[in-house]
Amino acid sequence: MTTLLDTASRAPITPPGVRPTLLKHSLRRIGPDGWTAVAVTAVVLVVQGWNIAGFPAVSDDEGTYLAQAWAVQHHRGLAPYTYWYDHPPLGWLQLAVLSWLPGLFASSAHVLTAELRIAMLPVTAGGALLLHLLGRRIGLSRWAAALAVLLFGLSPLAVGLQRELFLDNFAVLWILAAFVLAASPRKHLWHHVAAGLCAGVAVLSKETVAVVLPALLLLLWQHCDRTTRKFSLVGFTAALALVGLGYPMYAALKGELFPGPGHVSLLGGLLFQLQREGSGSVLTSGSGSRRVLESWLYYDRVLILGGLAAALPLLGARRLRAVALAVLLLAAVVLRPGAGYLPAMYVIQALPFLALSLAGLAQLGARLALHAVPRLGLRPLRWGVLVLAAALAAGWTLPRWYAGDRTALTVDANAPYDAAARWIRANVPDPAHTRITVDDALWPDLVRDGFEPGSGVIWFYKVDLDPAVSRTLPQGWRSLDYIVSTPIVRQDPGALPTVRAALAHSVVVASFGDSAADRIEIRRIVKDASP
Amino acid sequence: MADGGKMLSSLFMVGVSAILFWMAALTLWWMLHAWRTPETLAATSFGAADGVCGLEFSLLVPARHEQEVLEHTVTRLLESSHTAYEILVIVGHDDPLTAEVAARMADRAPGRVRVITDTHEVKNKPKALNTALPHCRGEVVGVFDAEDQVHPELLAHVDHAFRASGAAVVQGGVQLINFHSSWYSLRNCLEYFFWFRSRLHLHASKGFIPLGGNTVFVRTEVLRAAGGWDQDCLAEDCDLGVRLSTGGAKVVVAYDSSMVTREETPGTLYSLLKQRTRWNQGFLQVYRKKEWKRLPSLRQRLLARWTLTTPFLQAFSGVVIPIDLLLALTVKLPVSVALFSFVPAVPALATFAFEAVALHDFGVQYDLRVRPVHYLKLIAGGPLYQVVLAGAALRAVWREHRGDRGWELTRHVGAHLG
Repeated sequence: MTTLLDTASRAPITPPGVRPTLLKHSLRRIGPDGWTAVAVTAVVLVVQGWNIAGFPAVSDDEGTYLAQAWAVQHHRGLAPYTYWYDHPPLGWLQLAVLSWLPGLFASSAHVLTAELRIAMLPVTAGGALLLHLLGRRIGLSRWAAALAVLLFGLSPLAVGLQRELFLDNFAVLWILAAFVLAASPRKHLWHHVAAGLCAGVAVLSKETVAVVLPALLLLLWQHCDRTTRKFSLVGFTAALALVGLGYPMYAALKGELFPGPGHVSLLGGLLFQLQREGSGSVLTSGSGSRRVLESWLYYDRVLILGGLAAALPLLGARRLRAVALAVLLLAAVVLRPGAGYLPAMYVIQALPFLALSLAGLAQLGARLALHAVPRLGLRPLRWGVLVLAAALAAGWTLPRWYAGDRTALTVDANAPYDAAARWIRANVPDPAHTRITVDDALWPDLVRDGFEPGSGVIWFYKVDLDPAVSRTLPQGWRSLDYIVSTPIVRQDPGALPTVRAALAHSVVVASFGDSAADRIEIRRIVKDASP
Repeated sequence: MADGGKMLSSLFMVGVSAILFWMAALTLWWMLHAWRTPETLAATSFGAADGVCGLEFSLLVPARHEQEVLEHTVTRLLESSHTAYEILVIVGHDDPLTAEVAARMADRAPGRVRVITDTHEVKNKPKALNTALPHCRGEVVGVFDAEDQVHPELLAHVDHAFRASGAAVVQGGVQLINFHSSWYSLRNCLEYFFWFRSRLHLHASKGFIPLGGNTVFVRTEVLRAAGGWDQDCLAEDCDLGVRLSTGGAKVVVAYDSSMVTREETPGTLYSLLKQRTRWNQGFLQVYRKKEWKRLPSLRQRLLARWTLTTPFLQAFSGVVIPIDLLLALTVKLPVSVALFSFVPAVPALATFAFEAVALHDFGVQYDLRVRPVHYLKLIAGGPLYQVVLAGAALRAVWREHRGDRGWELTRHVGAHLG
């Protein structure tokens, strides 16, 4: 072994002479890899940023997370209503940190929930850059890593989901950072510890991302040196565990770790998520899970089916094994017998790994075509096969993606919501003393308009489900002035008697949207009507 | 409690937690230096020796009332594969039993072993070493303690390290081995493991290093130019390192588990406390000598300040943590403050985890059987050991304040021999 001995005196790091300016210096440091990553990321950002507030239609969950970020910013705790440990809070804490950004591009053309989506662009950009770096670190060539970023960011499925204010998008950013750090080429102990920290933050952003932790551990194991592996693995695990422990610690300090009378609890929240009524198996046609899967496939088949198919053979490729394992773990959770509730945004966590798998397989295929059996020669034929395969793949994919992405770039799916928000602003005279129940997506707008957050403008399901809210409604539905009926409010009225009564005892004063199913109705409660 | 009191407690908690966090995190960062990257780890060991005996060594072995272990130590030194060295055993004029053993060894290996008699009225190790320094004929002076087990190949490797690096000082590894003797010896062994295996290498690379008391080699001319050891300092080894590295001397540290000098932990908890008190007092003296202020860069001076005052930072945390816990349990603080007060626990718990790994590594490297009960002792003994360290730090401050600067020598029974 040649030895580098520690020495007390070292050569100065910066050689004497004229220093390049800081900008020039840092530009030079980016290098061709960096420029490729920046270029493909820019493309992704343009496609995702254009019409970001117009498509897709705002979802109730986005409104929920935005309201919770709002509560954090205004020192009202972790949520505008009692925080009941439905999800760990780091996701909307990050959203709160980023929420200054949309202010720079302020417009009131769209509902606030949609406008705030601009905050997701840096998250997507970070994810794309990290994905490129990860691709390079696990052996993808520059073009394959760039391809992975384009697959990750331009798939119509991704364009739709990554634009939305979903916790999963934050989780993806942090888990990618963890993967990148675990694959540190210097095998640096503190990179591995940082990987543990990032993984911890990822899990506390959205707990379901924990599914890919075994793949992360495999990657770390592969990228450790024999001599320092023990330290790296323990450092990683300790960091992950200690960050993760912060969450139960918070609950314990509030006396909300275990269920008990009169208070929410972390364990209760966890049990709710685990016992949440399953949405059936994806293998059963007509089940909720199957519908979710079909909606994913409606937007994009290439990435989901192609990535999934690529993952299997990639298990045999050492350097890509961890990524393939991540894909298969995520798939196994969906396919396992007795699978529970499958949320529509679950696929977000799979997107980067599907993209890497597909790009990895493309690279292996290209290498095989060009270099298998070298004695054969036949270079023109090999290139011919390769170009043909690439053309076929592009011919299959691009028209579909073009159609999907054009929708995302042009359709204004939020017009009814925007119109409803505008109408309320113009026609409800005294917001500070008016009580209105709405879905979560509209809530932030009405708070901005001056309704009392929480008790003046009320999430519709809290009316029935949160005792702290029902207490403020002594006369039930009669205590309300308005109810805004949106598809999600109408979805399951049986479980919400007060909401049902409010709908029954109200008249439509304004209505937006064409189809009956998507219509948004602003309804005034008629208080003198009989019960 | 009134709001003002609550506010004050909150501020206190946040401030203290931030300080404790940084202390624990920095200490952890430094203690794991060697395992940062595989390259760093590889660089901590000796290079392969080339078999050339290019330098001549004078090995100093001060011995005081150590007739039981001296013969074994000198015999081991005589087994060295190196050809050009002399051994100078330094005994006190008032210590006939040790002098007798030394004379016998000199008879057995004439020309190789010489006996130097130290006639100082009040004796200590730096005085003994300074007494022998004028008699050294070699180009390099090496220091060993009378109870050290030295590997026969060590000199050859040190010789090579000097020639390959052009260094003025080479510090070899020292390792306490008897981790099974008691709960504190387990922790004491690990302390040495982290210090010589890892932390000293960081100091060498940063250009500020408190040297160890033995298995340390200095070019004779450099040592003479520096005026030898400070006879009034209780940590003459640390002081020498600080003076030499501050003066820009190149220091090389090399650790190789097969070639470390093996030692034993103090036989009782009280003697550990005394030994640690002496070191702490010595560090305090070196700190107050302000030699380190001549270091060229601010980072080096900060490292020096931090390293030399570490015992007192330990004492500080020993005092502050109980107050912190008391507040956390008695005052109803905001959840965010309470949560923040647990932040220092993150590096502290991570330290435990890494200590367990190091114990495993220690067992592997020294071919020792580490059982689950040892891991338990390691964890359970952690807080207790901190109390001992804090106690030694407070004791050192007290003794230095009273001007009590006598040597409390550690007695050795030879538990590591055999």
